[in-house]
Amino acid sequence: MMAAGASHNDLDRFGIIFRASPRQADVLIVAGTVTKKMAPVVRRVYDQMPEPRYVIAMGSCACSGGVFRTYSTVQGCDEFLPVDVYVPGCPPRPEALLQGLIKLQQKIRSEHARWGSFR
Amino acid sequence: MPQAVEIIQKQKNSDQWDEPYLVNMGPQHPATHGVLRLFLELDGETIVRCDPRIGYLHRGVEKLSENLTYSQAMVLTDRLDYIASAANNVGYCLAVEKLMGLEVPRRAQIIRVIVCEMARIASHLLWLATHALDIGAMTVFLYCFRDREWLLDIFEEICGARLTVSYPRIGGVRLDFNQKIIDELYRFTEEFPRRIPEYETLIDVNRIWLKRTKGVGVISGEEAVNLGLTGPSLRGSGVRYDLRRTRPYLIYDELDFEVAVEYEGDVYSRYRVRMKEMREANKIIRQCLDKLAECEGEPVIAEEAPDLLIPFSKPKRPQPAPHPKKGFLVKSVEVPIVPEGEVYFAIEAPKGELGYYIVSDGSGHPWRVRIRAPSFVHISALPALSEGQMVADIIAVIGSVDIVLGECDR
Amino acid sequence: MLVLEKLQEKFPEEIIETGESAGQTYVVVKREKIFEILKFLHESGELLFDHLADLTAVDWLKKKTPRFEVVYNLFSIRYKHFLRVKAQVPEEDPRITSVSSIWKVANWFEREVYDMFGIVFEGHPDLRRLLMPEDWEGFPLRKDYPLSLEPEQEWQGLVELKEKARRLAPFDWYQRVPGERGPSEVNEEAKEG
Repeated sequence: MMAAGASHNDLDRFGIIFRASPRQADVLIVAGTVTKKMAPVVRRVYDQMPEPRYVIAMGSCACSGGVFRTYSTVQGCDEFLPVDVYVPGCPPRPEALLQGLIKLQQKIRSEHARWGSFR
Repeated sequence: MPQAVEIIQKQKNSDQWDEPYLVNMGPQHPATHGVLRLFLELDGETIVRCDPRIGYLHRGVEKLSENLTYSQAMVLTDRLDYIASAANNVGYCLAVEKLMGLEVPRRAQIIRVIVCEMARIASHLLWLATHALDIGAMTVFLYCFRDREWLLDIFEEICGARLTVSYPRIGGVRLDFNQKIIDELYRFTEEFPRRIPEYETLIDVNRIWLKRTKGVGVISGEEAVNLGLTGPSLRGSGVRYDLRRTRPYLIYDELDFEVAVEYEGDVYSRYRVRMKEMREANKIIRQCLDKLAECEGEPVIAEEAPDLLIPFSKPKRPQPAPHPKKGFLVKSVEVPIVPEGEVYFAIEAPKGELGYYIVSDGSGHPWRVRIRAPSFVHISALPALSEGQMVADIIAVIGSVDIVLGECDR
Repeated sequence: MLVLEKLQEKFPEEIIETGESAGQTYVVVKREKIFEILKFLHESGELLFDHLADLTAVDWLKKKTPRFEVVYNLFSIRYKHFLRVKAQVPEEDPRITSVSSIWKVANWFEREVYDMFGIVFEGHPDLRRLLMPEDWEGFPLRKDYPLSLEPEQEWQGLVELKEKARRLAPFDWYQRVPGERGPSEVNEEAKEG
């Protein structure tokens, strides 16, 4: 995720900017394994986001638990979050994350009937 | 420790704030390099007590590897310190090989040293990028990632993956280097020493950087040993403890490099140590490339290695029926070849001493895999490093001990 | 080996077994005087094990009695020698003396062993769970603990979270019909009721 934001794969050119606070964010990227201890925190971050809000599950572990089928891992963050885009890979390449974000932009564009033509 | 609600209630009722103020930081805070959570007790802006809470990325790697075969468990070690995964693989493979008494071909050893040092440079570059970003120097971040992408491209050429490489295997490495990789590495080692002064000119004359790093998070050498610090964090306090020299493994005893040591013990000297280490790592890669030319065409994986049973490099040739003594990873067939015993093997990973304590009961599964992660110890030393400092300095201290939570929580 | 001789000279009663595995010396001791033994190893001028490389435990379920072993991997930075000390801990009374006053690094190692194996360290300043949530039941790295949990064994926090997610799902913004009650109204109702 950091490589996607840095020099080679610049996320800013797609109008995607990292924010330090969930209260200013439109999309939550769940990067990495969600453990049972972390899950309430992730849900709280999601609850803090203003609507409309979207979720990207980045990486096999966030999508389905990946190789970690253990006592402390949640088998995919879609158990407690409504996920819009799944990005597979362990870890995904920056290009894969970029494609996931572009897919999400397409999805948002397709909802214009709901939100008005300015979107 | 009182609950936050009680303290807020108290502070509402009293006119003066005589209670220390409680601040929660994390676990989703962007400056904690992952999911680290800190409870800070503040007196004004001074930290009275610091209580790190970890476990937000505890995935049960140790339990999981008890249920997998030795070769399968190696894949999990990638996901510990995902920034320098090649070093983790090498450490695990060396531990299992020591338990098996397996001799690794010389060419494989040289290649392992090369990937270890590449991982070290990649890890230190990422460390410098994020550390500088935390303290407030954004430009360094972009420059460091430029060079890190170059290294990751070379990793991709070697094994097909950028971060989680799984390239070293038990008994050697998976594939030999081709000429293209060697040429690219020669070009990298030519160019990289000229890149390091670029970063240094960006931050070494930056007065804000110097103010925020010099004299912050000071720790003496004796106390650092007692706290269990290893790697650059210990060498920044003047203790010459580098496992590549103290307990040499692979071919490090033949190589000519200096152990970087600084004596101040603060954030700045740990930064100096890492910059020196990048130069030394570059020198090591260069020497190994020269040594690699001497043993051209030799095998890169041992005869008895369990991985040889997976047809990969010679797919067309009919394979002889696998001898049952040879391996423990053929689909689901597990054959015990690791004898009973136990071993503690530690290597000098980019972050510090990475130890594997493996107990075998003679079956196909390890009985117990224990990973001594440097980040775990470094986080446990955070209270000693940060108490009495300003609350803004804890960001510099967290950055300077170089932690990765995947490795800390396992 | 010099270290073993010194140790045998000082504590002849305590040592159960010595040996070598993969070129590394180990010594099995009784748990009663583990603090004195390790203090001797740390402070004796000729041994000077100043670096506690690792502290962990091994569960020998149905393989050995006593069931647990607490393992100390010691290294001397000055003299470059290595020793593994293993202390036997029985299942019915899993307690051992803490060494966190000798090496500060042992503090978190012992907390982790307590978290994962349930071995109590006497004299530890702050023995709490470290990696797992504080209301977690069971000790995960014991051999009789399952790798993945059954639904009825699930941690209560996750069950509550899933319940909350299910409750709030109909009110999420993209499923909500304009004019109906949203999550804010539901929250207020929940507060009142």
